[in-house]
Amino acid sequence: MDIMAGLAHGFSVALMPGNLLWCFVGCFLGTVIGILPGLGPAATIAMLLPMTYSMSPTSGIIMLTGIYYGAKYGGSTTSILLNMPGESSSVVTCIDGYQMARKGRAGAALGIAAIASFIAGSFGIVALSVMAPMISDFALSFSSPEYFALMALGLALVVLLAGDSLVKGLIALLIGLWLTSIGTDLFTSQSRFTFGQASLLSGLDFMVVAIGVFAITEVLSSISEKEETQLLPVPKGLRNLLPSWEELKACRFAFANGSIVGFIIGVLPGAGASIASFISYGIERAFSRHPEKFGTGIPEGVAAPEGANNADTGGALIPLLTLGIPGGGTTAILLSALVLWGVKPGPLMMTESPDIFWGLVASLYIGNVMLLILNLPMVPLFAQILRIPVFVLHPLIFGVSVIGAYSVAGRVFDIILLAGFGALGFAMSRLKFPVAPLVLGFVLGDAMERALRQSLMMSQGDLSILTSRPISAVMLAAAVAVLFLPLLPHFRRLKAAAG
Amino acid sequence: MNRRNLLTTALALGAALTCGSAAQAQFKPTRPLELVVHSGPGGGNDVMGRALIAAIDDAKLSPVRIQINNKVGGGGATAASYLADKKGDPNVIAIFTSVWITNPLVQQEANVSMRDLTPISLMVLEPALIAVRADSPYKSMNELMDAAKANPGKMKQSGGSPLARDALVRTVLQAKTGGRWAFISFPSGGERISALLGGHVDMMVIEPQEAGELMRSGKLRALAQVADARLPEFKDIPTLKEAGYDVPNPPQPRGIVGPPGMAPDVLAYYVDLIARANKSPGWQKFLRDGLLEEKLLAPKETAEFLAGTETQMRSILTESGVKLVR
Repeated sequence: MDIMAGLAHGFSVALMPGNLLWCFVGCFLGTVIGILPGLGPAATIAMLLPMTYSMSPTSGIIMLTGIYYGAKYGGSTTSILLNMPGESSSVVTCIDGYQMARKGRAGAALGIAAIASFIAGSFGIVALSVMAPMISDFALSFSSPEYFALMALGLALVVLLAGDSLVKGLIALLIGLWLTSIGTDLFTSQSRFTFGQASLLSGLDFMVVAIGVFAITEVLSSISEKEETQLLPVPKGLRNLLPSWEELKACRFAFANGSIVGFIIGVLPGAGASIASFISYGIERAFSRHPEKFGTGIPEGVAAPEGANNADTGGALIPLLTLGIPGGGTTAILLSALVLWGVKPGPLMMTESPDIFWGLVASLYIGNVMLLILNLPMVPLFAQILRIPVFVLHPLIFGVSVIGAYSVAGRVFDIILLAGFGALGFAMSRLKFPVAPLVLGFVLGDAMERALRQSLMMSQGDLSILTSRPISAVMLAAAVAVLFLPLLPHFRRLKAAAG
Repeated sequence: MNRRNLLTTALALGAALTCGSAAQAQFKPTRPLELVVHSGPGGGNDVMGRALIAAIDDAKLSPVRIQINNKVGGGGATAASYLADKKGDPNVIAIFTSVWITNPLVQQEANVSMRDLTPISLMVLEPALIAVRADSPYKSMNELMDAAKANPGKMKQSGGSPLARDALVRTVLQAKTGGRWAFISFPSGGERISALLGGHVDMMVIEPQEAGELMRSGKLRALAQVADARLPEFKDIPTLKEAGYDVPNPPQPRGIVGPPGMAPDVLAYYVDLIARANKSPGWQKFLRDGLLEEKLLAPKETAEFLAGTETQMRSILTESGVKLVR
């Protein structure tokens, strides 16, 4: 079946009233759990799985996938409003999104997040429908050396996130790298930095760290600064609650960047939406004409990561649908769901079960539009949250953070950790250490160490495996370039002084 | 065997385990039951737990609701110590897998062994296949092992943790053949298979359910089955023994375990519940779709199986150079 015929068939399946309804239910649920921090799409899908046994596999997969991408839409809401990431892929959005809210542009930031999600999400879906089989070969050509180079490139971006002091940025990065190494070492099964605590054997959860250093820290800081009763200014009038034409125009490149970077990283089974959002943010900053404004609340800083985490969906579904290989936790559950329904996910699914394959792809187009319609009108409403006086809002943020941390794994221990990370973040902000490099180190460190050790096991200890493979060599060169980019103005100044 | 028969057998077994105590009152749960799993939602045990509950609900086997409780962490250690703390609680059971056996052997922090708990029923054994990429030059187990012997240390296998079954298969094969190859750990099944399909490693010990469709579409070739008998779905593929490698097959068991000090009537209740769930159409379909091997054992046999597995794991782990702490 060629692509157009396939899509036409898919729409005829996805537009059936029942499937349309399930698509809406999935997108709606996804948005809701995206807004709630802690409870992620993976847990939600697993809990709803038994409910879908009686549904047709097509309706089932349409609904469950709706939860998956709906959550990425919703995740940005609390990042922007409360500096509290709703999903791991929306952590980067806190950096500029919350600063926009502080400047009274919360509505604009939410609108840009929704629009970026729609544009990049649609790009990911079109790319999925057109290039699925081709791109899966590309995904397979990626192996440990390439992953190492990708993570190295991501880590090099720290110099761009460091803010005023590179030294402080590097120290924060090292803390992040250390935190991510806590737990059981995959290669030897030995425990690292667990201090005899069985609860630390599986390591720290990213959401607990992120909610701690962003949301708890923010509340502690504003309490200590004794701010006025209203947290942030909320402008009156609908017009001021939506992104302006200038803001949207500033995001042109970010929309494209988020789409492409998110899709490509999404295709790779060893990376994920959080890594995609970080790298897209870093690239946006590296190519920006005003890099110094990042972190102060500019629309590009919201559009790039939010676009990337939605374009990631289309990419991540490719190995799942064309090879039966899940790239992450959520797609792994979608795979088990297909198996439980008796569908055989794999290379033959596209031809043997066209209803499911093309029905799902078509439902993504529909769901993406639904999410935009669902989310945009909510923007003015959500922005009103900030009118709540701080003596109500702060306890609320604390409460939601605690519930969020607890719901990650149902452990009280995570609440203690949350308090610890809140204190760490607060100390860092007092001492003017940037927190973004810590989070970056935490996200990338684990995967980077793993990829390096895998590469060296493959090459029997020969480091040249990292530079002799073309994709890996190019990315490592880019990483070196990024590291030395900020030094260029210094060189120019030196030259001018000498000349 | 009808229901009453099963129940009597179960009761007898429960009684036998507690050294022949007198006839007891029947236990019947009145509060919702808790089924503890050590993986997060969507992990292998979680999916199995939810399928088991759905099968029990469909066949209306339980008078009360059964809820999943995900006690994630420490590769099973968190769930095991949670269960150990529930001494004598009749409303909680858990799903165990082989990590419940291996983890306490290698990690100081994991201090609850299966001997501290009450084994109820082994339910499932997961078979495995040894697979290479379809265009690999190795067409048989012999060719693969000969190549490994001819190029010591050059060939690569993708897999999970060094405690996992795939690593153990390598250890027993290396000991048997004298060949040597690298074992490269990847955290998720998707990454392991990608490494094999992309040609970055030479072989993988793969679950039949993961491999089935990739074999049918001509992307993978299985050389042998890590199982005592051929699976009906793969009747053309020899077992390791048939291929000429008479090694112990490291098992991948899954079953049900209770807290310490479970009363005999409570144990009998669960043995009966699991036996009936095992026969239910929903569970049988789950086994068929997942290409799993049904292996229902009574408490005493389950305990013996666990003890035997622990001894076997000890020697395999020592042989592969993993440091044992207990």
